[in-house]
Amino acid sequence: MARNFVDPNAVRFTVNDKIYVDAELYTGEKFTMLEPHRLFPVSGLMKYISLLDEEGNEKMIIRDLDQLMPESKEVILNCLNERYMIPKITRLIKRTEKFKIWMWTVDTDRGEYTFEIINSYQSIKILYDGRILIKDGNDNRYEIPDLYALDKRSIKLILPDV
Amino acid sequence: MRERYKNGVIKTNKTLLTNKPIPPELEARANELLCGAMPLMAVVGDLKLSGRYGSGAILVCADRLIAVSKELETDGLMLLFEDIDEASVKRLYGNAVFRVKTSEGKVMDLLRFTYSTTDLCDAVSEFIIKVKEGADIDEQLRVVENTYQNLRSFCPKCGRKLASPHADCMNCKGKGKMFEVLFGYIKPYIKRLSVSIVLSILTTAMALVPPYITKMMVDDIIPDKNMRMLVITIAALMGVYLLQYGLGALRAYLLRITGDMIIVDLKKDIYAKAQYLPMKFYDKTSTGSIINRINSDTTQLQNFMLRITQEAVVQFFMMIGIIVIMLVMNWRLAIVSLIPVPVVALLSRYFGRKLSPMYRRLWRRSSSISTILTDTIPSIRVVKSFTSEERTIKKFGRYMDDWMNEDKRAAKTASIFPNAITFFVTCGSILIWFVGGKYVIDGTGDLTLGVLVSFISYASMFYNPVNFFASLSDSYQNALASTEKILDIINAEPEHNFGKGEAPRFLEGKVEFRNVNFSFDRSKKILNNVSFVIQPGETVGIVGTTGSGKSTLINLLMRFYDDYEGEILIDDINIKNIDMEFFRSKIGYVQQEPLMFRDTIFNNISYSMPGAHVDQVLNAADVANAHTFISRLPDAYDTTLGERGVGLSGGEKQRLSIARAVLKNPNLMIFDEATSAVDSETEKLIQDAIDQVIRGRTTFMIAHRLSTLRKANRILVVDKGRIIENGSHDELMALKGKYYKLIQIQSMSEKVAADKAAENFE
Repeated sequence: MARNFVDPNAVRFTVNDKIYVDAELYTGEKFTMLEPHRLFPVSGLMKYISLLDEEGNEKMIIRDLDQLMPESKEVILNCLNERYMIPKITRLIKRTEKFKIWMWTVDTDRGEYTFEIINSYQSIKILYDGRILIKDGNDNRYEIPDLYALDKRSIKLILPDV
Repeated sequence: MRERYKNGVIKTNKTLLTNKPIPPELEARANELLCGAMPLMAVVGDLKLSGRYGSGAILVCADRLIAVSKELETDGLMLLFEDIDEASVKRLYGNAVFRVKTSEGKVMDLLRFTYSTTDLCDAVSEFIIKVKEGADIDEQLRVVENTYQNLRSFCPKCGRKLASPHADCMNCKGKGKMFEVLFGYIKPYIKRLSVSIVLSILTTAMALVPPYITKMMVDDIIPDKNMRMLVITIAALMGVYLLQYGLGALRAYLLRITGDMIIVDLKKDIYAKAQYLPMKFYDKTSTGSIINRINSDTTQLQNFMLRITQEAVVQFFMMIGIIVIMLVMNWRLAIVSLIPVPVVALLSRYFGRKLSPMYRRLWRRSSSISTILTDTIPSIRVVKSFTSEERTIKKFGRYMDDWMNEDKRAAKTASIFPNAITFFVTCGSILIWFVGGKYVIDGTGDLTLGVLVSFISYASMFYNPVNFFASLSDSYQNALASTEKILDIINAEPEHNFGKGEAPRFLEGKVEFRNVNFSFDRSKKILNNVSFVIQPGETVGIVGTTGSGKSTLINLLMRFYDDYEGEILIDDINIKNIDMEFFRSKIGYVQQEPLMFRDTIFNNISYSMPGAHVDQVLNAADVANAHTFISRLPDAYDTTLGERGVGLSGGEKQRLSIARAVLKNPNLMIFDEATSAVDSETEKLIQDAIDQVIRGRTTFMIAHRLSTLRKANRILVVDKGRIIENGSHDELMALKGKYYKLIQIQSMSEKVAADKAAENFE
């Protein structure tokens, strides 16, 4: 089945609920309660956004959020921010490790939090663009956008694990 | 986790189920909303409704739900079950929301949380709906209780989460545990090691004699021109050397063999442990990394242990012996020669701290390289078929470069370290020459030339062990990194065999799933409240779209995963209470992609029943429609298959796999898409084999082609982790639901395919 790549100039998105949007096409066709999903939640935050209906069927794909009209882009971005919770770590406050269980207390863009890393070899991944992705013992995700932009102490604490 | 909620002011006459205490700032409001009602359970979330870290809570009574959060209107609300139409958990990415839909149609988010509490909220929403529908409240409470208990419990000492309820707390065990485990491997060889240590002491003592003889020669024998003493001393020197090197060879042999034995034990244990690790471990750990641990990490440890056992003991006694002799010969000069020792020790500590993280990073890189190798070399056909050799080479090159860069960094520090040490050691020798030379020239300090010369010999010998111990930290760090990885497997929790030794005399084959919920990780629920009963001897078809949860049902029945909620029973006994080995021996499992070993066809079939009689193997091959093609092969049953069965077609391998399953005469047969990867003709051969095999056995068949399921007594339709239809083919066709639709779609596509084939034929 051919995917419906939506023309960014021929669609308007409006807020429905926190994680849902309504869409109206230039042709007059309307969709309600669409749920935006990133097709590349790790590697392409602004590209290829799939919009699913309540049954989970894909109604359309936005190739590039930047191509949308500013109001529509904001609506979709707000929805995505609400759905995708990958706190960005801004500081490592404390890191204790005993026998391969790490406990990190961090400052993030969503507040301070403490979590456990059961196995750092599998749970901390460094990407080629320099980002570091972390998965805690409960399968929650965290991101360090740029390790070297953190304070010296945080870098020193994190470096052995990456 | 079940705990009596003592400290809070919320009153309850039952044990309140809660994941953690209600935050004090929410407790007063919760109490107001309860209005004296007794809560049965509570879930405290770790996010505010806005998505920032914070807290909120829901409390559930027998007839009402209370939600408290600073972000809710009036800080909280109370809803009677009769006013709730739906209660559900909406999983987002990295977080989830507990929401209700009221009878007025209003949808409200009441609690937001990370994945740490999704299972609890799932159970709570299920409880509300079931109780509202009139289900028995005590029974539903037991289901919820089960979920709370399944949560990983906490260490009573340090408060950290445990890997599973009642598991040992790794944090409290500490690094001492690491050495305790390693000592467990050394213990059986303690006698051999003791003999070696005695030999080490003897050889060390021998090594200390020659410089003293030098002193005697320089100070007495040569100046006195005593020829007789010279001959005696030379003969004694010769004897000392002979003894020293003879015993040294014996000691080296003993220690090496002992070191090898220890490592062999360790490798055997890791391999054995790897066999019993749960599938969840393999889901999260790459096979490359496991192979790396068994091979290179144990070798790393072996090198270190040999270094420790062969050299460290010798060097230690040497160092102590030399210090004593030097102090006896001239205590002032002895103190001078000890001056560089604190510098060396401090440097060693400094470099050790620097090297440790570097070796950890290096290990990560080398593990990634192993993963690429284990991914691409066995899959060389795929690589070649997609002409991606160049891409693979580039990727491998990139990983090697990464390793190289990390190694360069480590090499820089590791190279500076011993040379810096040697420099300070040399400074020590220069100092002895200066101070000792001055004593001899001035005639002060009670020092003769012979003593100085022999002192210099002892000093150079003394710095050898100092140097050795200083550089030991390098290999110690390396070994420590490897030990951690090895213990990661050794200490990982194996599959639980709660019912060890519990084997029913006979299994009839009644299978029941009772309220089974399961998820691989907390981001997505794979099975949702699955319940069904299969009578002995029934053939059950499991259908559903890809990813609906069909194979997961089988994985749970096979006990590949044990951490599900609810119960799976066979002949009314919980499968967790049956001996795992016995239970699995009663199941014949045929996978979509049959796996063969690099061995003969006979051994591949008899893998399920080692020591099987030839007649039994031939019979099993016959039942599986495999005998005919095997007998036509030049080497027949002695044909050695290539790696993973290379040399046979997919259909042939599948029939061998069926023969292997049949041989152990199982009570339960499972076919997981056994015919999906073969052509129609081969499918018929396999289907005939299956028809013979399933007679009188409870059989589960996951099939892509629904036509193969028409003979099934019962069909389960799985959709999004739920059983949505359950009945015979005719019943489900009459129902005109999902199964009917799937049949329609497949008949249509089969018709189109047949028409096209006919067209082409014409």
